[in-house]
Amino acid sequence: MSVIVAENLTKHYGRRVGVEGVSLSVPAGTLFGFLGPNGAGKTTTIRLLLALLRRTDGSATVFGLDCWRHAHRIKADVGYVPGDLRLYDWMTARDAIGIFGEVRGRDLTGSGLKLAGRFNLETDVRVRAMSRGMRQKLGLILALAHDPKLLILDEPTSALDPLMQQVLYDELRTRATGGATVFFSSHTLSEVEELCDRVAVLREGKLVACESLDALRKRASRQVTVRFKDSEASRSAAVPAFLDVSERRDGLWLGTLGGPVMDLVKWAATMPLTDLAISEPNLETLFKQYYRQDGDGS
Amino acid sequence: MNRGLIHKSLREVWPATLLCGAGLMAFEVLFTFFLRSFQDMIDVEILKIDFVRSFIEGLLGSDVGAAVSPKALDALALVHPLVLAVVWAHEITLCTRMPAGEVDRGTIDVLFGLPVSRWRVYVCESLVWVCAGMVVLGLGAAGYAIGHLAVDVKAQAGLETLFMVVVNMFALYLAVGGLAFLTSSLSSRRGRAVAVTFGIVLASFLLTFLAQFWEPAKTLEYLSVLKYYKPLLVIRDGAWPMGDIAVLTAAAVALWTAGGVFFSRRDICTV
Repeated sequence: MSVIVAENLTKHYGRRVGVEGVSLSVPAGTLFGFLGPNGAGKTTTIRLLLALLRRTDGSATVFGLDCWRHAHRIKADVGYVPGDLRLYDWMTARDAIGIFGEVRGRDLTGSGLKLAGRFNLETDVRVRAMSRGMRQKLGLILALAHDPKLLILDEPTSALDPLMQQVLYDELRTRATGGATVFFSSHTLSEVEELCDRVAVLREGKLVACESLDALRKRASRQVTVRFKDSEASRSAAVPAFLDVSERRDGLWLGTLGGPVMDLVKWAATMPLTDLAISEPNLETLFKQYYRQDGDGS
Repeated sequence: MNRGLIHKSLREVWPATLLCGAGLMAFEVLFTFFLRSFQDMIDVEILKIDFVRSFIEGLLGSDVGAAVSPKALDALALVHPLVLAVVWAHEITLCTRMPAGEVDRGTIDVLFGLPVSRWRVYVCESLVWVCAGMVVLGLGAAGYAIGHLAVDVKAQAGLETLFMVVVNMFALYLAVGGLAFLTSSLSSRRGRAVAVTFGIVLASFLLTFLAQFWEPAKTLEYLSVLKYYKPLLVIRDGAWPMGDIAVLTAAAVALWTAGGVFFSRRDICTV
């Protein structure tokens, strides 16, 4: 079952395109990475899902309910951390947990304070006196305290130190194991790669990929280093079609594998080589292709 | 209603509400003392001067005519520019907190991450605004009454008449607040919403003031909210200003509802 389903979701700001024809499906219990460079439309998509924006066209549902018409019902089971988190500066963490609990009609004190302990956040400091990292922790606590079925996190690690990032990743993994769905927006590939099992990539308001990380890894290129026994052998060897050689020097070829590994191995067996190195699939190169403005990225 | 939303709003507005209410109360008490001190001189001399008479008529928004008396001056305590400035400044500040203020400072993202509809937030904010108005005007009326009980003013409004004026003033409060909610709903910048609302009520005040001695302004006076708030006439006649209250309340309902409709349909962009 899919928790989030968007079909041809479109948002225009006057003449400017926010997102165009975005169709995606987020299965329940997944850690779903939502990647894209700045200005790609990630936040617009999230704001459409949360009914902060009205769609120009298409449809979007969360838990099978229309995002715009049933927004407040949907949000009972959603925890949200905005990208540019702003909290009421007169509140302390304790106030915020109490008031947000009242709004949700539940006592969140126990779970909120437990999370505050986990994230190492003082609960009696006013927001106006908090650092950006402390505010981010409070935002996360408020999003997690009611144990939501869906977490929508817009670049949630931007102000967290590496230690706290790890605490958050652990918390999110635990929640996902327990059946919650995490929609994790980021422009940093490494954290999505570490955390998520599915990923969608947005560029200039359009979805350019939406699949599992394993599937993407299969399509990702591998860096290849070929060392011939001497320079002469290197010069006389013909470059195979599946290898894109970017650099040649002193009997050494550096390039990108554009075909199956086995083809390379078979070719290497016929060559006078002293060494052959094939890297892990390089997602970064693939994502750079997606992000690239001039190519189609697909 | 939502207890949490009301709790949040009350935490944000109670200091300013109490401060404005207390300030208004102090002004009313002091103004009454002032009236008493100058009562005889006003009675005899000042009201005979044309300029002063016109000025007072402008402030009261009424043709004083035969009603020139200490009683007419008594009504000044309820329509004095300082009173209107305090009440309006407080309510414009309060009514533009949401949505314009929340969008402006970016907190609306967190607010609408919660399971509340836009109408519910709007209604809860409005409830706090209405209650705050009761507190501010109630304290102001209490100051007026205390001032009159404490000194021997020659002619004064009875408690029943005072209640009529305060209800009329509350209707005015609702109309201006409704306007502030509308401008706030149309704007993502609180400063702009405050400026537009304040500009309109200031123009309204000037229009009523000028209408007393400038014919062109008189023809447009019906557009001014102060046309429908004339404490002098209520104090003089002792009759409920039902027509004025109805016009102000209808304007308040129309403006407030329009604000709610715009707010419930608009895009919320904080970045």
